[in-house]
Amino acid sequence: MNRIASIALLLLFAAFLFAPYLVNPGLVFIAGFAMIEIVFALSWNLLFSYAGLVSFGHAAFFGIGAYVAAATLRYGYDIHFILVLLICAVLGAVGAFLVALIVLRRASGIQFSVLTLALSQLVVVLIGYSDYFGHDEGISAIPRPVMNFGLFTVDLNRPLANYYFVLFVCLVAVGLMWLLVKGHLGRAMQAVRIDSERAEFIGIDAWRIRVFAFTISGAFAAVAGALLAPWGQIVTPEYVNWLHSAQPIFATLLGGAGFFWGPVVGIVGLSALNYFTRTFTGLSEVLVGASLIAVVLVAPQGILGTLRQLAKRRKGPVKGGHA
Amino acid sequence: MTMLYLYSIFNGLVLGMAIFLVSAGLTLAFGIMKIFNFAHGAFFMIGAYVAYAVTGQEASSLWIFLAAALIATIVVGSIGVLADLTIFRRLAGVPADYTLMAAFGIMLFCTGSTRIVFGQGIHAIYPPAILGGIADIGIPISYYGLFIIACGLAVFLMLEIGLNRTWLGKQILAVARDPWMADVLGLRVRRLKLISVATSFALAGLAGGLLVANQALSLDLGHSYLLLAFCAVIVGGLGSIRGAFIAAIIFGLAESLNSVLMPTMPGISSYALLIILVLIRPHGLWPEQSQ
Repeated sequence: MNRIASIALLLLFAAFLFAPYLVNPGLVFIAGFAMIEIVFALSWNLLFSYAGLVSFGHAAFFGIGAYVAAATLRYGYDIHFILVLLICAVLGAVGAFLVALIVLRRASGIQFSVLTLALSQLVVVLIGYSDYFGHDEGISAIPRPVMNFGLFTVDLNRPLANYYFVLFVCLVAVGLMWLLVKGHLGRAMQAVRIDSERAEFIGIDAWRIRVFAFTISGAFAAVAGALLAPWGQIVTPEYVNWLHSAQPIFATLLGGAGFFWGPVVGIVGLSALNYFTRTFTGLSEVLVGASLIAVVLVAPQGILGTLRQLAKRRKGPVKGGHA
Repeated sequence: MTMLYLYSIFNGLVLGMAIFLVSAGLTLAFGIMKIFNFAHGAFFMIGAYVAYAVTGQEASSLWIFLAAALIATIVVGSIGVLADLTIFRRLAGVPADYTLMAAFGIMLFCTGSTRIVFGQGIHAIYPPAILGGIADIGIPISYYGLFIIACGLAVFLMLEIGLNRTWLGKQILAVARDPWMADVLGLRVRRLKLISVATSFALAGLAGGLLVANQALSLDLGHSYLLLAFCAVIVGGLGSIRGAFIAAIIFGLAESLNSVLMPTMPGISSYALLIILVLIRPHGLWPEQSQ
């Protein structure tokens, strides 16, 4: 199973790596969005599968990154785009830290989810007031930056450079998250999720771990948002509202909760569904909805969970154990 | 100035009752399924479209308007029966997250189907002529507003009496509080769940049928009410009808007074209020004892 999974992941990675040479520009555009959504969904899954927190308002942090990056590019501040990404990460982290400080003290479970939902909707409302952020229409016609690295320059106006820049940043983000969850902190987070009381007994500060997880997750979500500005060239409040917050939730459950790579599989699945049904108004929603229901009924552990079960079942009789 | 405040308080009460009509079914479904039913807004919208299909742009009489609301109730209630039999019942044993995902799937499915059947257009619907008038007692009070308040009170009283004073209602409360124990006591848990899910959906249909007038009927109709109804349910105490009733009125008043007191910042007060109220009382005004 592990080997099949790694091969599948490698194939997926190769597909993303060679996408500009294999498929038409329309699909490449979708692939870029999918990569951004993957980082976003993984940052949410960091909370859900590792720290056991269900945030319904994660799009707020995505929105912080998207709007800050969009504003700096649109209004011509001369800041190196790599620095913009870092600034967005810091702002996302600070925002998430403040939210965690207030919310986690008082609420848990469903109250936590609804509070995060309300806070993110508050952000949507505030954006609607702001001239600077373009009210409900958002910021459009965002220019793509040219980055000077001393030895060479990267011009994001060139489609290939743009695609590989998004791919590179996404890979770095995914890599950092992978290192985080496989390390000491990831284990501490899982301990807190499974049984916070016992985790406290062995000296883990559960509250601090949760605040930390939320902060980090906010930072990664903001980076994903910041990538959207030069890639999509338009940022609207749609990206901040609760329907966007739901995206990583369904990607994670579709791919398989409890797996690090679950959201990746889920996003690829959702993107493919959206792509194949894009031309039929209404029908695309019907099909996405129906397949979500079908997955829940037929394979409640998600795609990866079902694959693992199949692999186990095949191995089972050989060992002679019962199921 | 006083007149302005009185007027906005009346509007707030109307809005509060409208929110309550939506959140009544939502909180009932939460009690039974322990999830926020995202599909509730979609069923509210379907109820509104069904009523529109029956009456057209303007119902010719109050009875036809009420009949359309009743038809919407029955149609959406039967969709609820179908959804419970085919989907929710089979998810009884798995974590609530999956029921949530199924509800989201149903929401997308229903929105898409409505888009296919009724198209993308926005329809303006008017209340029947008899409710269209305005009584001027210093402040203009629309008959339709009074009608909504009456409907909200009627639904509230029916649910309060139905749940707390009848045998069936008490059985439903028992299942909501502890399904396992209810099963041990010999209650027909699956049938009771079916009844309450169907009731919850039917309430969504009723709300859609009653509230359809005086709004722009479009596919986004569900979302605006759904979020306010979420707020009411969480502040009221999850699964509590009485709490949802009080909280809905609070949010209705807050939304309405917001437009008078802070006209430059529309729509901010309800979220701010929700955050403050949940931070003060995380378990709501009337916390339910279920686990």
